[in-house]
This record gives sequence, structure tokens and C-alpha cells, in this order.
Amino acid sequence: MSLENEKLLELYRKMLLVRAIEQTHGKLLQEGKIQLMSHFGTGQEAVAIGVAGPLRQEDILFGTHRGVGEYIGKGMTAKDIWLEYLGKKTGLCKGKGTLHLCDRKVNIPGLVSSLGSDFSYAVGTALSAKMSKTDQVTLYFVGEGTCNQADAHPSMCMAALWKLPVVFAVCTNQFCEFAYMDEHYPTEDVAIRAAGYGMPYDIVDGQDIETTYKVTEKAIEHARNGKGPYLVEYKTFRMALHHSGDPGEYVKSEDLEKWGKRDPIDLCQKKLQDRGILTGERDQELRKAVQTEVDSAVEEAFSGPDPTVDDLFEDVYAQKEVI
Amino acid sequence: MAKTISFLQAINEAMAEEMRRDSSVFVLGEDVRIGPFGQTAGLVKEFGEERVLNTPIAENAITGVAMGAAMNGGRPVLELMFCDFTMLAMDQICNHLGQWRYITGNQYAVPITIRTAVGAGFRMAYGHSQCLESQLLQAPGLILVEPSTPHDAKGLLKSAIRSDDPVVFFEHKKLILGGVEGEAPEEEYTIPFGEAVIRKEGKDVTVVAFGFMVYEALNAAQELAQEDIDIEVIDPRTIVPLDQDTIFESVEKTGRLVTVEEGRIRGGLGAEMAALACGDYFSLLKAPVQRIAAPMVPIPGSPVLEDLYLPNKDSIVRAVKRTL
Repeated sequence: MSLENEKLLELYRKMLLVRAIEQTHGKLLQEGKIQLMSHFGTGQEAVAIGVAGPLRQEDILFGTHRGVGEYIGKGMTAKDIWLEYLGKKTGLCKGKGTLHLCDRKVNIPGLVSSLGSDFSYAVGTALSAKMSKTDQVTLYFVGEGTCNQADAHPSMCMAALWKLPVVFAVCTNQFCEFAYMDEHYPTEDVAIRAAGYGMPYDIVDGQDIETTYKVTEKAIEHARNGKGPYLVEYKTFRMALHHSGDPGEYVKSEDLEKWGKRDPIDLCQKKLQDRGILTGERDQELRKAVQTEVDSAVEEAFSGPDPTVDDLFEDVYAQKEVI
Repeated sequence: MAKTISFLQAINEAMAEEMRRDSSVFVLGEDVRIGPFGQTAGLVKEFGEERVLNTPIAENAITGVAMGAAMNGGRPVLELMFCDFTMLAMDQICNHLGQWRYITGNQYAVPITIRTAVGAGFRMAYGHSQCLESQLLQAPGLILVEPSTPHDAKGLLKSAIRSDDPVVFFEHKKLILGGVEGEAPEEEYTIPFGEAVIRKEGKDVTVVAFGFMVYEALNAAQELAQEDIDIEVIDPRTIVPLDQDTIFESVEKTGRLVTVEEGRIRGGLGAEMAALACGDYFSLLKAPVQRIAAPMVPIPGSPVLEDLYLPNKDSIVRAVKRTL
């Protein structure tokens, strides 16, 4: 399962960018410069970037609250993310969504707070694509914790029943909020539920970007070719805590040690170096460039315009006077 | 040219006409190919199974499916069979539906119409009889429509389907199933939101009644006329937006306000109107506002108890007299 050199390098760069955005977010929080809470996806970058990678611009992505991986993977920029994160008028959601990232240009329709409410939106966008006879695919990216929401069931049922072009990409990071997955699940895998709907599924390593990319690509093509939904479960590990205020006493140090040895960025870096695509020097340049990109995005966002009282009442309805 | 149509026909024709006009309009819901109350009956024959989609029994998820389709260019008309069942979809309706446009900075609109049947009188007890319109008053971004005549049902439903805002459209079971008929133009028409109709002019007391309660108010008007009490009956037709101008111009004339709804009294439509009256329009009032609504009890199935539970002509007559 190997990717072309350029593709692999591009995915590597995106993983670096994701980590840099999240580390910078953490630093700003620590320094007390921002209040915006965080749910980082450290250690899961190969899943997020791998699932979004094979999507076309016109395909639809519903992402998660954890990290910015899939948003960067689908084509959002660090600049747009930070303008919105800081609640600026020039953010894509005009500062009203902040963590609820949405970017119509790259077909990301938004992020809910009550996790799993959007399970059915992905079925709806796929239904609409099928009705209008386009070959657009919807990818629903979700954590295993959210797969216990009630709507997971009818959503997967309808997707299979109506043979819709949707891929359910389940990122199993071993944690459901503040608890290990085995406190929420009687089984080791989530994906086996797909069998109940007659939906094909795969369970794969989530640390290797080539695996996550290739398997997702196959699932997307399956959906695009009118064969119906597909579910892929990616096994990874949340190296970050649930959110920025989580003391994290429940996380076993031996797990951090074990999974830390299979960091997705380190694994990809080694592959690139082994294949002679990346030298140590080039790697340093790349990392520096990525950090500069993030720093200037943050700087620009801090100096961006704040919304005003008029904005408070804008966009509730198509016509303002209804309020 | 006018023709006579039933309330049921009005709903059915509105959907059929909009489906003919706009290929992105489609109908979905539980058993819509049959039409449990008949509103969607026959649509599948003309428009096919793809545009008249039977769904599994999963109100919150099918509401989400409609929303997703609307985010991607569709214009769904979703039937949630009983208003009581909209409570199963409250996450979608109150947390997301009306807020999506705002929270995405106007990048995504969610133009869906949710049709749902309200109302008691069929001895079905607590879970198939409620009027829960006021539950949705707290959710921003929604349009709430409740017609009382076939004419309005058709024109307002067509406006709802064309609206770029999400609309919840309440259909009273006594109007759907009771064979209520009325005149409607043969030709194409729509009715804008936020325009109340004065069903009966009067000078003594303003009675604002929603949905089926308009008929109870008109009956009360007849009875009161025998005692030389002349009430004005206003049918707001849309709950949000509410035509405050028409209502309070009337109150300016009468100085007295009675609100009538079939839903329960606490935090109800009348409570909202009374709050408006006591705030912005307090100087117009010559008497305390009277609210007629159902009591804060579950709806009992016994015919005797259900009739006692429901607001009616008699309770309206008594309320009007209290203001004089």
C-alpha cells in the first residue's frame, strides 16, 4: 500500500501543519492569551489526514470536534481556522461558530455540539447527491464514543437501505471522553455493527498514513460507484487528553509509552527518509515553514476585526426583519 | 375563479404544486406513500418513490436526513406524523435546525418544511393529542405556521416550501380529518408569513385565537353578540413571525385582550402575548389580559375528561366577560 512520493510528502506536510496548529493552540491557552477550549487529536493525525485525503473538493465532509486534522485534510487553511477560532468578523462563520468549523468552499457543512446529531446529516447529503444523480460522496468522520449516540443506528440503517454514497469513517482512539473505550463498549470493535446493516467494513491500523489513505480511497470509490455505504474503523490512540482542562489521571502511562513509539508523524518521516524523499535538512525546513504558516495565521487572526452589535442580529433568518 | 377545497386537499395540492414547480422539492416521512392522515396520499403516483420517500421510524434521524439534504440543494417536506413525536426530534429542531444558518455565518441555509399534526378531541390520550407549538418558541431561526382554513393552509404551505428558512407547519387534526372546507383561488397563490387576518371585526374585546381555536372564538362571538358584546377575532396564521401590528391596532381600539390556544397555559403562546401586552402595549389596556389555554395536566383519554381539558366556546365567553 504505497503512495507516490509527492502525495506522501504532501500528507506528511499536512500532518505537521495539524500538529503545529494544535500545539500553538495549547501554548496560547497556557499563556492565557485565549480562552477557547481545545480537544486535541495528537497521535491521530494519520487517521484525520488519511480519511480526508482521497476526497474531491465537491465531496462533503462532516468532521469531529477533536483537532483540526480532517479540516486541514479537506482543504481548510490555517488562516481560516484561526480567524474563526478567535471569533473574528472575517472568519468563515463570521466569528459565530468558533470551534464549529465550516467551510462551504471545500464542502464542510459544519460541526454540531451535541455529538452524533450530524450522523443523519451525512445520510441526507448523500441522499441529495443520489437524487440529483451526481457522483458526490459524503464522508462522515466520527469517534467511537459518538457511535453510541442513538442516531448512529437509524443513520447507518438508512444509508444501507437506500444504498447511499456515504463512507462512515470511525476513528477509534481508545477513549470516550474521560474513560477508556471498554467502559462504553462490550466489544473491541465498532465496525462489526456494519454487518448488521449488510454494509461492508474494514478495521485497519490508524497510525500508518498510507494504510488510512488507501483504505479510505477504496471505500470512497465503492460509494462513488453506486455500491452503497462503507464503514472503515481506524485503530489509533488519543495521546492528548479529552480537553484542555482534563487532569488525565485515568490514562495509563504504559499506553502512552507504547503508542508513543508509533507516532504517525514519526512513522511517516521514517518512510520518507528510507525512500530517499526527505533529508534531515529538508525536514527541518519543512517544519519551520509549517510553524511560520501557523504563527502568521495566528498573528493575522489576533489583529482581525471583531464583529459588532449589528452582527449579533444578522443571519438568523434569510430576511432580518423576521426576528 | 374560486373553488371549494377541503383542508386535507389544500395541504395535498400545495405539496403537489410545489413538487411540479421545483424538482428539488421532495416529501419524506413515515408511511408518506400511503399518507396516514391522507395529506400525502397519491403523491407517489405522480412523483414516484424517489420523491416520496418512506422512512424508518426514527424522528430525530429523519429530521437530520432532511436537514442534510437541504444543506446539499434539496428542499424536503418532512412529515412528523404527530406533534407529540416532534419531541423525539427536539435535538435537531431546537439545537440545530433554526441555528445552522447563523452558526455557519450564512454559509449554509436549511430550507426544510416540517409538517406535523396537532390537537385533541379524538380520545387518544396523552401521546397523540398535544399542541406543543409553544415548545418551539425558544428556538431561534424557525418560522412557525398554524393555519385555520383550507385557503390559508394551501397558500402558507406553498410559502413554507419556498422559504429559505426552516418552517414548522402545524395542522390541526380536526381540520384535516373533520372535512373542513373553504374557498380557495383556482390559480396560483401564496401567503406571506407574519400577516394576521381579522376573522370578525368587533369593537369591545380583541380575541386572538390560533389554529382550530379560531372556530371556537367565532362561535363565542355569535353567543356574545346576543348579549350585545362585539368581539374582534384575530387569526395570526403564523406564530413566528407574529403580526403584532394587527393585534395591537385592534387592542388600541378595544383596550381588551383575550388569547386562545389549545396548548397548555404555562409558558404558552398566550403567555408570550400577555408579556408583549404588559410591556410595549401596556398603556392600551383597560383590563387585565385573559389567557385561555389547556390546564397543566396530561391529556386524559376519557371523553368526559378530555372535553373538560379542552378550551372551548364557553371558556372564551367567560374570559371575554371577565375583561368587561
